[in-house]
Amino acid sequence: MAPVKPPLGRTLLRLFTIQSSWNYERMQGVGFGVAEEPLLRDLGRAGDSAAYRGALARGAHFFNAHPYLCGLAVGAAARAEHDGIPPAQVERLRTALCGPLGSLGDRLVWAGWLPLTSGLALAAVALGLGWWAVVGFLALYNAGHVALRWWALRAGWARGTRVAEALRQPFLRRAGAVVEPGMALAMGAALPLAAAYLGGPFPGWARMTVGIVAALGLLLLRWRRLGLTGLRLGLGAVAAALVVGWAWR
Amino acid sequence: MSLGQEGLLLLWGILVGLDLVSVPQAMIARPLVSGVVAGAILGDVGTGLRLGVVFELLQHDILHLGAVRYPEYGPATVAGVSVAHAAAGALGIGLGAVVGLLTGLLGGVSLNAVRRLNTRAVQRASDALEAGEVAALMRVHVTSLARDAVRAMLVTAVGLALAAGVRHFLVGTLSVRGAMVVAAAATGVAIAAGTSGTLRLAGRGATLGWFAAGLVGGAAGAWLR
Repeated sequence: MAPVKPPLGRTLLRLFTIQSSWNYERMQGVGFGVAEEPLLRDLGRAGDSAAYRGALARGAHFFNAHPYLCGLAVGAAARAEHDGIPPAQVERLRTALCGPLGSLGDRLVWAGWLPLTSGLALAAVALGLGWWAVVGFLALYNAGHVALRWWALRAGWARGTRVAEALRQPFLRRAGAVVEPGMALAMGAALPLAAAYLGGPFPGWARMTVGIVAALGLLLLRWRRLGLTGLRLGLGAVAAALVVGWAWR
Repeated sequence: MSLGQEGLLLLWGILVGLDLVSVPQAMIARPLVSGVVAGAILGDVGTGLRLGVVFELLQHDILHLGAVRYPEYGPATVAGVSVAHAAAGALGIGLGAVVGLLTGLLGGVSLNAVRRLNTRAVQRASDALEAGEVAALMRVHVTSLARDAVRAMLVTAVGLALAAGVRHFLVGTLSVRGAMVVAAAATGVAIAAGTSGTLRLAGRGATLGWFAAGLVGGAAGAWLR
């Protein structure tokens, strides 16, 4: 029997640490178990400590998904344990959720909401809003972040094994449809504004150097066979620039 | 820079390092945020913002998809700002970028090392975890969190030491013109990385049209300013 007032608040707080024990064997599994534990306590209080320990052990098994959406699986798995779903089915539920929650979160957050809000912040800094742009970024980004975590946990707990219904919510599709073009628009606007902001203090020849390095760098980064990353390109470019800088006095 | 400021930068670097993966992923690890706070600690928000923008653009080259390995630009920006603040203008941005890129590389390597240590800890506690022992579960989780805090502290400390070394040995040896070459190279790469990362996300469909519209709008805005 599921508790009438589940400790969702405590679970939500623990979900913020879900990746603290990330490892190559169980990935987020240990963090999943830690977050699920408050929701499982009633199993032990009902005098069935074997059910509690069994559920906790299952909770700590392999799991990997988007960290903001893990709550959906945590809530659903805990609800399934309370509903007396067989252990093998709970395991299958967890395994089945890894892929969809990972890809949905990656698309919605890492490739959408985060670059969108970061692009807005970059544009705002370049337009002279200073540190207020950074405060606005943190407030806006985290409003979406915390709301998504809270919705996921509540939806998972409310639906249990029928959790797939939550993933078919129309608002998730609408969010994806808005966030993706929004990200492209915001980042598109931010790039020339940031370039003008960064290039502003340079004299003409240095601005031209910025332009040449940016154009060559973009070509090299887009040339997939090179497998170049921004970090490697950056280290190579500043090393070469240091040599030129020393020689050109 | 006073010892108190160094201590605050180290503390800020730990919080930023923890935010990236462990807790709470509220994006204080983004270079724009870590840079501006590091700048505020040093009383130089302008330099923090400028270097924050450089590393924020570099950050856009990274996709946090799945369990990929990536450099860590949060503590890197903190260390970069500490050297950029000591050397004014373009000289500061160039040297800040050098320190930041090296610290970012170290941060990425250290993340992998911590994940390996976490794996060993989980393997050692495997029997207790399979028995559903809550104390073992909490112990593994909390010690992993502490491990990440130590990692973030070491990365920031090495970055700050690197910054001190650069302040002592590099600042006097580069001419203003030479420093400007370094700053221009770092800025150019940052713009390239930001553009490349966004193009990868936008793909080839209608989203690319939105990106082009944004570019036109942004270029007009920059020209009008």
